[in-house]
Amino acid sequence: MTRRTFFHDLYGLGASLGSIALTSMLSSTRAASRRPHSSPVRAKQCIFLYMEGGPSHLDTFDPKPRLNSLHLKEFQRGGEEQSAMSSGKRYYVQSPFSFRQAGDSGAWMNTRWKQLAGVADEICFYRGLQGLSVNHPTANFHINTGNRFGGDPALGAWVNLGLGTENSNLPGFVVLPELSYPQGGPANWSNGFLPTGFQGTALRPQGSPLLNIRPPATIDRTQQRRNLNFLGQLNRRHAERHPQHGELEARMQNYELAFRMQTQVPDLVDLSTETKATRSLYGIDQPRTDNLGRRCLLARKLVEKGVRFVQLYASTWDSHDYIAKAHGSLIDGVDRPIAALITDLKQRGLLDDTLIVWMGEFGRTPDNGIRGGIKYGRDHNPNAMAVWLAGGGVRAGHTVGATDEIGSTAVDVVHPIQDLHVTLLRLLGLDDDRLTYFHAGRFKQLSQFGGEVIEDLIA
Amino acid sequence: MKHHALQIVLAGLLCAASELPADDPVDGETVRTSGGQTEDWTNRKYQPANLWAYRPIRQPVPPDDSRHPVDAFLRAKRPGGLAPAPTAERLTLIRRLTFDLTGLPPTPQAIDRFLTDKRPDAYPRLVDRLLKSPRYGEQWGRHWLDVVRYADTGGFANDFLRPNAWRYRDYVIRSFNSDKPYDRFVREQIAGDEITPRTSENLVAVGFLRMGPWEHTGMSVARVTRQFFLDDVTNSVGQVFLGHVLRCARCHDHKFDPVPTRDYYSIQAVFAETRFAEVDAPFLPEENTSGFEAHRKYHRQRTDANNRMLASLPDQRVTPDDFGRHRLGRKWKLLFNWSADRYRPIAFSVYNGPGNVRRRVASRLRKPSQQARSKSRPNRTSILDGGDVFSAGEPVRPDVLSATGLAATIPVSFDGRRTSLANWIIHPANPLTARVIVNRIWQGHFGRGLATNPNNFGATGQPPTHPLLLDWLAMEFVRRGWSIKSLHRLILTSAAYRRSSSHPHPDTVSRLDPNRTGYAVFRPRRLAAEELRDAMLAVSGELNPQAGGLPVRPDMNLEAALQPRMIMGTFAPSYVPDPLPAQRNRRTIYALKLRGHRDPFLTTFNQPGPDASCERRETSNVTPQVFALFNGQESSDRALGLAARVLKTADSDSDAIHLTFRLAFGRVAEAAEHRAAMAHWKAATADQADPPARRQEWPTRITRRANEENTGEPFTFTETLFEYRDYVPDLQPHQVDARTRGLAQLCLVLFNANEFLYVY
Repeated sequence: MTRRTFFHDLYGLGASLGSIALTSMLSSTRAASRRPHSSPVRAKQCIFLYMEGGPSHLDTFDPKPRLNSLHLKEFQRGGEEQSAMSSGKRYYVQSPFSFRQAGDSGAWMNTRWKQLAGVADEICFYRGLQGLSVNHPTANFHINTGNRFGGDPALGAWVNLGLGTENSNLPGFVVLPELSYPQGGPANWSNGFLPTGFQGTALRPQGSPLLNIRPPATIDRTQQRRNLNFLGQLNRRHAERHPQHGELEARMQNYELAFRMQTQVPDLVDLSTETKATRSLYGIDQPRTDNLGRRCLLARKLVEKGVRFVQLYASTWDSHDYIAKAHGSLIDGVDRPIAALITDLKQRGLLDDTLIVWMGEFGRTPDNGIRGGIKYGRDHNPNAMAVWLAGGGVRAGHTVGATDEIGSTAVDVVHPIQDLHVTLLRLLGLDDDRLTYFHAGRFKQLSQFGGEVIEDLIA
Repeated sequence: MKHHALQIVLAGLLCAASELPADDPVDGETVRTSGGQTEDWTNRKYQPANLWAYRPIRQPVPPDDSRHPVDAFLRAKRPGGLAPAPTAERLTLIRRLTFDLTGLPPTPQAIDRFLTDKRPDAYPRLVDRLLKSPRYGEQWGRHWLDVVRYADTGGFANDFLRPNAWRYRDYVIRSFNSDKPYDRFVREQIAGDEITPRTSENLVAVGFLRMGPWEHTGMSVARVTRQFFLDDVTNSVGQVFLGHVLRCARCHDHKFDPVPTRDYYSIQAVFAETRFAEVDAPFLPEENTSGFEAHRKYHRQRTDANNRMLASLPDQRVTPDDFGRHRLGRKWKLLFNWSADRYRPIAFSVYNGPGNVRRRVASRLRKPSQQARSKSRPNRTSILDGGDVFSAGEPVRPDVLSATGLAATIPVSFDGRRTSLANWIIHPANPLTARVIVNRIWQGHFGRGLATNPNNFGATGQPPTHPLLLDWLAMEFVRRGWSIKSLHRLILTSAAYRRSSSHPHPDTVSRLDPNRTGYAVFRPRRLAAEELRDAMLAVSGELNPQAGGLPVRPDMNLEAALQPRMIMGTFAPSYVPDPLPAQRNRRTIYALKLRGHRDPFLTTFNQPGPDASCERRETSNVTPQVFALFNGQESSDRALGLAARVLKTADSDSDAIHLTFRLAFGRVAEAAEHRAAMAHWKAATADQADPPARRQEWPTRITRRANEENTGEPFTFTETLFEYRDYVPDLQPHQVDARTRGLAQLCLVLFNANEFLYVY
């Protein structure tokens, strides 16, 4: 059979039971073929906390006292690489926040990280990462898919291709977005050129978790079951007339599967069964933290049920102005839920199996144009950013790499995005060079053309 | 089943390895090109089989003159002992052909006429009738728009409007309907503005060049975004017309194909003076400009409401609401100003000359004065080392793909570069152009090209299964004046196209022709997303066949429609459907296509994203499709429409069942089906005895809440959804009796049936 035929038939047969069933088919043979590439296996699942908009490293985990003495002094940047935004006068901006060292490891943190400070020793901070894109969607695509222009499979899709899923009734890649999707939209969790079953399933935070998961009000469950039975009759007769058409059987089974999912999915997202103590640990029902707290708790439930890859979005960190207020309240909103996630996973013995990633699409500049008065903010900066990892296999309790004295660019343990991708795969027991898929004329991989493991991040 | 799926996945991963071309076969063939960056590359050898696309198009003679030439070529390559399947029955044929050429199901009347037409040329007459239908251009224009990535917005962070892009969509549909010779179609899209600068048609046609996603923001570096366009247009022209993914040669000489980096930048140099502009272009009589006033009414309401909101804000902004609303109001003002261009005779177009300075990133881009051009000189293009816009290397002249062996002389002046390139593309001796389009058309009919990667005729694409047939078709196509309709006729009248999708000896087929390249049976296909929606509308009798004009806004799943979305640093205005059923129930090709907000019904059924060129659609089979079609409002609405339509004309209950089947499947119900359907209808009617408690309500306002980016604190904003104030829904359950509601359940099942979704 030729490659093309395979792909064609793959959609016709292999992926025919839908995303859920496809991953289930893969998982049943995991022992034989879906073995992780390297040993010892470290994490077996991942929770990716995506801070959309580009959190400022300078105001979160990478303090730069030098900026205090440069505050409001003129900053120059020039040449052809100048964007419209960097034209006009620009000034250094100091961080409005105070910092302290947390935990035995002495990790630097904005003092607004009250809860996270308590789990600082579980975290490996990284200051050496550099991206390429100065705009949100291309930077999002780059971090999520390895390709700045989108269209390629997301990290979560690759991880599921490599590891399969452990729960045949749930998708292996679940995304918990804000009500507003991130810039670039669902392409951030695309299956790209992998079979459709590998795409991220976004559970909507309000309304139906999946679109059309319930029939219209005019169709009750009895009526729907009856419709389904009649549909089965028609389809069976039709299949008798077209015995050589293999896709038909799969499509019929899909209807039965969907009928079952109608009750299962709403149960899954129901958090009312969790104890009061757990709910308050995550800050649920508290106005500031409820939004992310619910999703962090749901993320824990999902990995408990064997979902391989969960990605959460928290927005928006795009503080061009008023960074003191903007970043301050954002930190207040995510601090408790994220610390709770680490604490909760740890107390359930799941932290060693779970890789947690915290990052945005880029860091921010040490300088800013003053726009209409004193409202200091920061612009986009792909040359320096804050990243941290926690959980299975990471070098917890360390800060790796460094930025220059004003935080404008990474200078120590500097790596491009593809190296972080390769490292994340390694932490999940996968080898980027072996996790490939033939498409458009070549074997493709998450890192695009290969990368180097950042050994300093690994325990 | 499980085992099978795994084998397929693994094989999909592994089998391709053996197909990778060896980099440098010892006894291969060298290809003369403009020269690589290294001596080694320039002199490297290629496997001869991978060079098929650069060889001159042969003039083959059909191997057997007693049959249709297409069948003669196919037969010559069919494995011995494999007899083709018999001709499909007439009902199957008319359904296959009607969907193929128009994207719609045949009406019962059309079916009757064809089934009873005893004339020997009944079938070719049917082909001709369908080719003349205005629905033809809508269907085949859609295939073209997949390849060129049509959308009404620019994508990325701001998803900037392209208020006049719809005129390009209609240009394409018109071109197919009028059977515009393909060579002219190519020239207009690449160089229309150079050829006849005052023709609206041509100014609209070159919109092709900027159809890809693109944005320039306040954060962007102008040279970088300019280079994005140059890379995009270079690759796009390569893929669309030449079947070559040129992008691979951006940073280095092509790894597998004889495409040196020098060629990539030489082709790019053709576009070095091509700049964006939205230019004046009077509406043509054939363009649909109706409905502007109805549209503009809501545009005015939105604009006024936004101005009132802005005026109500305090001069000294204090609260997060003040800041958030001010920001939103300012951005919407820009956006609404810009979107008024939709009603103006403007073309989304290009010109040659020095770059224009855009005062704002969110507004119409005007062409600079002639004066500006007289003061400047054309740019020089250089090879960019590693594809980096700031690492200019060796300069290049505008030129073409050298491996074709067909040279071109392209001027270095502002004007004429694109005309010269277009003339080279359509030169009869260009080995790629005719093969590429003929292959696309073949794929449209058979579901698979003779070469199965229509965008990639290089070594990493599949070579053609029937190279002589491809060449013969290409030759005939050019000989017949590049007429696409003539090519359709040629292919559709072959026996291969008329074959049954069932074979009397399936085991023999599997054994002798496991890849199904022998064309012994016809390949069934699932309806494309647009066909599925359009077919439901056609069957329910609700389809408004009006052609062209402003993008329409059909109903969308309400939760998805009102899903908040950020553009230009604030909320995008909500997606609100057009108020009247006739406005909404147009063909899907006319639906507004926002890159950043796509209709989930269509994406679920594999409508491709408009960011990358789609050479062939996928047909996945996933559970969200069940939710969309079995639970979604759209299919329920259509089912009710069909039930009402049927009961208006049916003489009896029995007749109603038959009519429903005839409309949906094109045939009457079998006895057993008829009995089951009657029972189902009866039970559903009993279930539906009580009228629905209340009529559905649609929101006329929506409150948005988000963290305000300047303060990090939440702000709220209430948007009025003006069209919903005047919204007239499609037929509603409470407007009909229980019997109709019961029959609608039956209709819904029919829309979900495999027989409705597949074409044989």
